[in-house]
Amino acid sequence: MRQLATKPFPFFVGLYSLEELVTRDSRVCVINILGNESRKVTPVSHEYSKGNVVAGVQYGRRGILETRIGDIPVYRSIRDVNKHGHAFDIGVVYLPPAAVSQAVWELVTYNKDLKRIVIVTEKVPVRDTLNVRYICQDAGVDVIGCNCLGVANAWDHVRVGGALGGDKPEETLQKGSIAIHSNSGNFTTTIATYLQTAGFGISTAVSSGKDVYIHFAAPEFLYAAQNDPRTKAAVLYVEPGGYYEKQALDWIIERKFSFNKPIVACVTGRWKKEIARPCGHAGAMAGSGDDAESKERWFDSYFGVPAFDPENPKVSKKGVRVTSIQHIPAAMAEVYRKLDEKPDFQPRGDLSLKPWLEDKLVKLPHSLQIPVMKAVPPYDTQIQEISRQVGANYLRRNMRNKSGATRMNPATQVAEMHGKTVLELSRNSFEENLYFSIGQIMPDKADLRRMNLLLSGFLRTGDNRMPAAEAARRNDATPNAVVAAEIAAVGNHPMLEKVRAISVNLLDLIREYQISDESTPLSKELDRQIPKLFLSKEKPGNNAFEEALQKEIRTSTKLKPPFRLCRHILETAEGKGQGIKDRLEFLLAAFGLCLFWNPMLGKRIPRQAVEDSISYIYLVARISAVCAMRRGKNPHWEKLSDPEGPYSHPDFTDSLFRLLFGRKPGESDLTELKYLLGLTLTNGPGTLSAKGAKESVSARNAVSMAFVGFLSNTGLAHGGNGFEAVEYLLDRFEPAGLEDPGDAKKKPDLKALANQAAKEYGKYKREAKTLGLLEYKRIPCINHPVFKGNDINIDPREDFVRKELEARGVTNVFLDFYHHLVKELFDEGVTENVFCVNVDAVLAVIALKLIWPEFRKGLWPRREIQDLVFVLFLLGRSIGSTAEIIDHRSRGQDMDCRTPQSEVAFVL
Amino acid sequence: MQIAGLKYGTKLLELVEFPVARCRDGSATLNEIQEMLDRYGKLVVKPFFYGGVGKKAKAGLIRFVDNLTDAIRAREELSFITHTWGAKTLRASGVTFEEFVPSEIEVYFSITSSSLKRKPIFTITPWGGIDVEEVPPDKKREVWIDTFIGIKSFDLTNNLNDLNCPEEYISPLVQHLPKLWTLYDNYGLTTIEINPMRMKKTGNTLIPVACDLRAAFDQDSHAWRRLELPSVTFQTDITPFESEINRLRTYQGQSDVLELNPAGTIIPFMFGGGANTAATESLGEKAIFASDFGGNPPYEKMYNVSRIVFKHWYGKANTLLIIGGKANNTDIYVTFKGIFDALRDHVAAHGKKPLFTVIGRGGPNLVQGMFYAKDILDRLGLPYRMFGHDTSMIAVIEYAKKIDAWWTETGRKEFTDKLEAPHAA
Repeated sequence: MRQLATKPFPFFVGLYSLEELVTRDSRVCVINILGNESRKVTPVSHEYSKGNVVAGVQYGRRGILETRIGDIPVYRSIRDVNKHGHAFDIGVVYLPPAAVSQAVWELVTYNKDLKRIVIVTEKVPVRDTLNVRYICQDAGVDVIGCNCLGVANAWDHVRVGGALGGDKPEETLQKGSIAIHSNSGNFTTTIATYLQTAGFGISTAVSSGKDVYIHFAAPEFLYAAQNDPRTKAAVLYVEPGGYYEKQALDWIIERKFSFNKPIVACVTGRWKKEIARPCGHAGAMAGSGDDAESKERWFDSYFGVPAFDPENPKVSKKGVRVTSIQHIPAAMAEVYRKLDEKPDFQPRGDLSLKPWLEDKLVKLPHSLQIPVMKAVPPYDTQIQEISRQVGANYLRRNMRNKSGATRMNPATQVAEMHGKTVLELSRNSFEENLYFSIGQIMPDKADLRRMNLLLSGFLRTGDNRMPAAEAARRNDATPNAVVAAEIAAVGNHPMLEKVRAISVNLLDLIREYQISDESTPLSKELDRQIPKLFLSKEKPGNNAFEEALQKEIRTSTKLKPPFRLCRHILETAEGKGQGIKDRLEFLLAAFGLCLFWNPMLGKRIPRQAVEDSISYIYLVARISAVCAMRRGKNPHWEKLSDPEGPYSHPDFTDSLFRLLFGRKPGESDLTELKYLLGLTLTNGPGTLSAKGAKESVSARNAVSMAFVGFLSNTGLAHGGNGFEAVEYLLDRFEPAGLEDPGDAKKKPDLKALANQAAKEYGKYKREAKTLGLLEYKRIPCINHPVFKGNDINIDPREDFVRKELEARGVTNVFLDFYHHLVKELFDEGVTENVFCVNVDAVLAVIALKLIWPEFRKGLWPRREIQDLVFVLFLLGRSIGSTAEIIDHRSRGQDMDCRTPQSEVAFVL
Repeated sequence: MQIAGLKYGTKLLELVEFPVARCRDGSATLNEIQEMLDRYGKLVVKPFFYGGVGKKAKAGLIRFVDNLTDAIRAREELSFITHTWGAKTLRASGVTFEEFVPSEIEVYFSITSSSLKRKPIFTITPWGGIDVEEVPPDKKREVWIDTFIGIKSFDLTNNLNDLNCPEEYISPLVQHLPKLWTLYDNYGLTTIEINPMRMKKTGNTLIPVACDLRAAFDQDSHAWRRLELPSVTFQTDITPFESEINRLRTYQGQSDVLELNPAGTIIPFMFGGGANTAATESLGEKAIFASDFGGNPPYEKMYNVSRIVFKHWYGKANTLLIIGGKANNTDIYVTFKGIFDALRDHVAAHGKKPLFTVIGRGGPNLVQGMFYAKDILDRLGLPYRMFGHDTSMIAVIEYAKKIDAWWTETGRKEFTDKLEAPHAA
């Protein structure tokens, strides 16, 4: 086949002058315009170029890409673009590698006026690049790329293709007399920025890419630079691999085309001759004659002077080679001096070492110690502003059905919260897990003490008559509705609102005055701020809770900054004989900040979660308070209802046990309660309870309402169904006269009981099938949709807890019964194999065992046991919901849980 | 991504039915070697190296044997022999026994990419058997290949005629050589070189037989995976660290690494191909690896890349260098968040060791990114210096080298002593 060739080249080159490469009149169509990269870069290019993108293509879709100067229409194909009358002469390709050559073909097939294609995509296979070249040579189209950042014309304020100059192209692309051709996209703009330090701007910048084939290479560039009246000199940034530069220099020497402008060339990458495969630029691989040293020789020979030495600068009128891009400005200045030319403008800045940020940990030797310098605008003000920010920042996105806090591990079917399984977490106390749900790390001893103090305090802080909950109870509401009523009434409680506001103030002061946990003196300016922010002339007396909080602050050692500041404010108030404004809220804010200081500084949790932390702890404490069972007959509740009672109960899990079961727990009781609460923490973001919380956040509710979302999404089928298992066990064991389900020595004949149950169920099942009943009753808590199909099946979660209990010497007759039952069901031919005892059984058997003594005494009617089982679920899940709410508030967007119209259906 | 020799080369050539010298690897039994000797009269014993290793003949590593005793001796001598090729010294992984093909001429043939023609070219000389660079220009030809047609028979005929190739060889070469384009074009090759190709006489027919092969593959093409070469084939090319990072290779954001010096002291996160080239050059042997993490990698990718980097090198390095120019579209905040989240998590899981961080970077969300890094480093109690794009990137690299030298020599110990001092608690 005969290929096009345009003199002086042996192949097609459409461009005569760099001036024409991209101009004010260029019209652009971007393929894959709504792709991740393009949708960010194209609007900036379009705005900088004053609206040169006439259309975009997003295969199979139509739409728009919004920009500040108007929307860019998006079509399904190039044919579609044509059909709508958009004429363009430059195509930009942003597609994934496999689709690039197809798009190029489409562009040249459907646009006879096409002059150039810029291909931004990296990692395009060599074979596809060859096809691109073939197609474009045949069609008479210049190609820039692949793997490039496009081209820019600083005189016309136009950039096409990639993101030359980033999101602020006007900063970098300053009008001037230098044309840049760079194998590195980043260096194209880095060199343009460096040149400004010697007073040079640019005419045109070309990011050529450095794939195996460079389609717009040094020969074409220098030819077009020579013909460009704006360009007085060229900069070439060159990497090993390929003979493009030799070809260009040879052709100049052979006068294949004339070139009389100076060049500053930078060749790097000597080390690349030692490597067997590319790293970074695919084409930067040297063969025997195109390594960096060879390229250095080509240029040195052309220039007739050795490489540029800034200490002893020698250049020729043809230019000079530099060994590092940082020498380009000085070398270019020297070349201009030699030619008696003036730079384009006054030098701007310099390239010397200017640290913006430094640590205060080490003292560097004198030669390395460079003082921190003010950054160039606008970065100086940004540094000032951002130095106040703290905590993790998540990218906001649609979080419907997604969570960064919990998940169901698909391989193990065990739910996890912040990377720990519920099995691991079920060894922890309630307060440890609540802390973990907020802070994402486990609390240390001091944190745990403070968590207990807060939770105990909040048990009393609210109105313990609980009118909303009582009204719900009177109307026979289910436990979740009772709790929800009370929590909804919390609303945006003024105390919590004040705590949040004070937290913000304290945190801002800590950041602004760089208060650390070391013993550096506090600023005097800070002292001037304290009275107006925190002090009050009034000095009301302390209540017991405030006293407990103050004691903790005053007696703490190893002070974290919030406690340090808080203690300083308290001492200042005392020194002045004044009180603290909103003292309780002030103390709580300091507690919240102190508790979660480490995870916040470690960027694990966002600032907002720390400012809200007291709200979460308060709400979970209030949920616990509403969940207290049989409160009229519960001595612990009586004690807690006394607002002036002691605040020193050291263990909230212990307290919780007393609230639920009305008695003092033994060691094994607490262990079993922890398993109960731990196992129900979460089942991943797909559960109804998690969705309820997330949807409430998505609707931008207050934190309390997000808890209501979780609570209202539980019910008799989700959380309240544990009673079915309890009822089943009661039916079996109440007539059997079981005394103590924890006594290993007085176990009834479980095998016989199980055999009887299996036979009864087998009979029932056969009858049901004979009658054709599809929805016959199943025995609760056996079998599992995942852990099935083997001869003997095991739910690993149940197995874990069972073994843990065994190791601790804890007996549970009900659980043992279940294991006999699955075996007997198989032996009696009722089931095809030995079903697993699933994790729900663990919850039922532990709950029943804990309540058994009272039940035996007739103190607990069945209805209350049903409520208890439900309440236990709500308590455990309140911790998982806390994590879910924080996560959604940190990452999600308003209304992101809405179901798109395309996914909803009308059914008859 | 290269292979050399017939051990795996045979598999490639057989795909397009290109004649190749019979070959067995070093595990051949005595009977099998004797059978080959009986059949071919003479065998060529070559050491086998993973990767694209050349110049074995020049190094005197090839033995021609005609009896079992010599064949066994050659196997013993060559099986673990070392060979220095370029900058690398490699140890052989066994040998190959290859059919010796008697021939009056040796043909050199290759297909490569030509930056001068901007097309693939084939190079041919019937006067081969030596390095093609040593063949005088008038004794070899370079001819461009039409990518949609392949190697044209008349191009081969005309050029072989011009090179005074004896007539009887031209037709067999023209029949077989175009097959190599099929191999090149369909299996993701960037180079295939057959040297020597010997002309085997079978009855009255001459057949060109490939007696050695070197091939390079395009790592951005999936086509070579169809060859199903065992993963060990590229083991000298790819270290475990590189292999782990390579699994994250997608077109969105770069994740290229090249392990340079496992005994180096600087972990260099380089952003952009230019930074990779220039920074690696400046860092020299201090750099543990060369890298290019530019191209605006998404958070998850950057986190995972960094996780792997710290897993392999945190315990061994003294300095963490994050270097790049003024990014055009790489979000600095996202990349720094990925790196420093991974550092924080690594330290949380494996404990802290003194590491000095030097950053030189510019681009979108720069200050946010720097403060993210600062907060985590402050929290971890690790020292750092951060420079913006108004400082020369190369100057930052030079500064990092000086910091690394000081840190290695005294700074690190001073820092550790200070931390461990009783009053520090």
